[in-house]
Amino acid sequence: MTTLTFPLSRIEGHARVIIEARGGIVQSAKFQATEFRGFEYLVRGAPAEQMPVLVPRICGVCSTAHHVASVKALEDAYGVTPPPLALTIRELLMLGQLLQNQATSLFIFTMPDRLGVDSLFDVDTTELDGDALAGVAARALQVRQAGTHLITLAGGQFIHPVKAVVGGVTGGIGAAAASAMRAELAEALPVACALFDTYWDYSVALSARLGTWGDDAPACYLTAVCGERPNYYGDFIRLMGCESGDVCAQFPAREYRAFLTVEEAEYSYAAQTSYQGHVLRANSLARANLVDSLGTPCANEYLQRFHREFGQPAHAILLFDLARGIELVYAIERAMEILADPLEGAETRIPYTPRDGEGYGLVEAPRGPLIHHYRIENGLIAQAEFVIPTVHNILAIERALRVAAERYITPERVNLELERAVGRVVRAFDPCIACATH
Amino acid sequence: MKRFAVLQLSGCAGCEVALLNAEAWVAQYRLVYMPLVVSAEDVPEVDVLLISGGVRTDEDLYKLRRAVKKAQQVVAVGTCAISGGVANLGDRDDVRALFLAEKDRPHVPRLLPKSHPADAFVTVDLYVPGCPPTSELFMAVLTNPHDFQASKVVCQECGRQKLKDVKPAHLLGFQQGEVLPDVCLINQGYLCVGSSTRGGCRAPCPRAGHPCVGCRGPSDVFIEKESAAWFTSIKRVFATMTNVPEDEIERGLRSPQLALFLFQFSDYADNRTVGGGYHPRPKEKVL
Ligand code: SF4
Ligand code: SF4
Repeated sequence: MTTLTFPLSRIEGHARVIIEARGGIVQSAKFQATEFRGFEYLVRGAPAEQMPVLVPRICGVCSTAHHVASVKALEDAYGVTPPPLALTIRELLMLGQLLQNQATSLFIFTMPDRLGVDSLFDVDTTELDGDALAGVAARALQVRQAGTHLITLAGGQFIHPVKAVVGGVTGGIGAAAASAMRAELAEALPVACALFDTYWDYSVALSARLGTWGDDAPACYLTAVCGERPNYYGDFIRLMGCESGDVCAQFPAREYRAFLTVEEAEYSYAAQTSYQGHVLRANSLARANLVDSLGTPCANEYLQRFHREFGQPAHAILLFDLARGIELVYAIERAMEILADPLEGAETRIPYTPRDGEGYGLVEAPRGPLIHHYRIENGLIAQAEFVIPTVHNILAIERALRVAAERYITPERVNLELERAVGRVVRAFDPCIACATH
Repeated sequence: MKRFAVLQLSGCAGCEVALLNAEAWVAQYRLVYMPLVVSAEDVPEVDVLLISGGVRTDEDLYKLRRAVKKAQQVVAVGTCAISGGVANLGDRDDVRALFLAEKDRPHVPRLLPKSHPADAFVTVDLYVPGCPPTSELFMAVLTNPHDFQASKVVCQECGRQKLKDVKPAHLLGFQQGEVLPDVCLINQGYLCVGSSTRGGCRAPCPRAGHPCVGCRGPSDVFIEKESAAWFTSIKRVFATMTNVPEDEIERGLRSPQLALFLFQFSDYADNRTVGGGYHPRPKEKVL
């Protein structure tokens, strides 16, 4: 038996891939998450109202999503409905999260694969297509920073934000700050589009060189946004069936167990989800498949081109990366729309009375639907459960790894392309290991 | 060009993300190792090694001990690397027993009984507390740590006004009430610990209307003292500025598993190396 171990980089957290082959026949391809901190255990006994400050620490990349999901779970338990302005500011927070994450994944994590370098910060020292790539690192960081500034504006801090509270948010956004942010986004938009166009071209060239866009077998898709106009704030979870390409189930977070099977794996600190034995996929491609229109001009144009060129639903895994670029553009455009409206003056939070019970909070994080579920006794957390988007993708990652392994392992030899393929496969799913293991 | 590396142990990557936002280092340093953004097999020889995250698994420990040998200067960044961080909340008998039993996995790195700070095992030259440290702090570390200007405590950076004649009778939960702009959060009944927390973050939390939870750790006055001294100091502030009964403050500060205050996660003063020796963190080494 030949066992190949691939350490992973340019993803969030610690994980590795183990591929086993015998006589050139692939036996297994496993994705191992190798870190674990134990949040479900360590928050037991915490005063429930402290969760929105504690749980962002599950992940510094996704802290905004955890912050908002946590507040929503408490509101569900306490029976509170925040005022409309608070919901708008939370949507802005989620857009900042989306913008920051998709810029990071697109440019810092996966662009180097298209350019054949080890890191985005190496690009300018290599001899590549000058114009399109001049100053690519600086431009990518500029776009990414527009996202972190947006989170800071709406959340107080761009990592581990604090402004969402039970019943609303701690305050509105002043007109001057909003218009400055809008100006920054307006500047970032053409930069983001130009970078994404380059990225798209390089992705097409990459797939032409490889002769594949990766694992393109059908899968079921899972997202908390859907239909004509997405809202990453999250309401229901929708599931697109494997065969049909239609929405085959729609359910609130509290019913997720009736639809999703979550199982522990003995070789990894991350669990795995499936739907009636089928491989599930969440993240950008799930949304591109389930959303018909984004409702903002540039992003919509990209989405239509995507649907035209690759179909709806599309299945090949490198399309996850392209779908991320569309959302990057959407996040900028949508945030600009929201910032044009007044974001202060109206009520931002309403009073509430804490009570014991159970609550579920759902948001569409960049990686897919995120659920926080708390049971509260005597004001303290008796049990907490975090249902993590990356976990929905683990089986899909393993299936795609197997497809890549079968392509590059033959009875004669292991093609050296395999190592790069493993990196590309995993990064297409943009897994977050700190979240997946928590 | 100077070279630096970031060794990511068990943390949340928030520290690394904050570093990415301090992009001005791009012109001055070459980043040679940081798995989040660079594909490189191993830590090469570097001028500066930043360590983020706590030592949670035996693999973390192995990587840490190997990496420090390659570095001229070792810097622990973030609460996790300095005091074990949020994962240290799991350092309770009940929790430890549960998760060591339920999370025993044969094929992945073994968990250590708790999340250790880096200096439990290796010598650290500079500490940069924060959860995460701000981008400005990261820039200071990489450029000129000695010129970094900060106030002693968060209160002095927060800009809210302390009022003499407004004394709340009870504490408000973090999530409750309408926060008035410009007025000290203590005057409004929030349990803000900015008065004994190290400055340098520019007080983003109280500025945004949320109490400081102390992620920057104790100020120079307390950092070499035991945690009892911090409690006493915070209680004294509340005794002067509020009419909240002392036992209510006490209860708020010592929530069941010390969930709230990040600098309580581990006792800065009573830090012991795993071998046993006493090992305080001198304030000169803390940014
Ligand atoms: S110190 Fe805070 S931001 Fe840094 S790794 Fe630990 S939890 Fe994350
Ligand atoms: S205000 Fe307090 S909690 Fe916020 S960053 Fe500063 S030290 Fe940390």
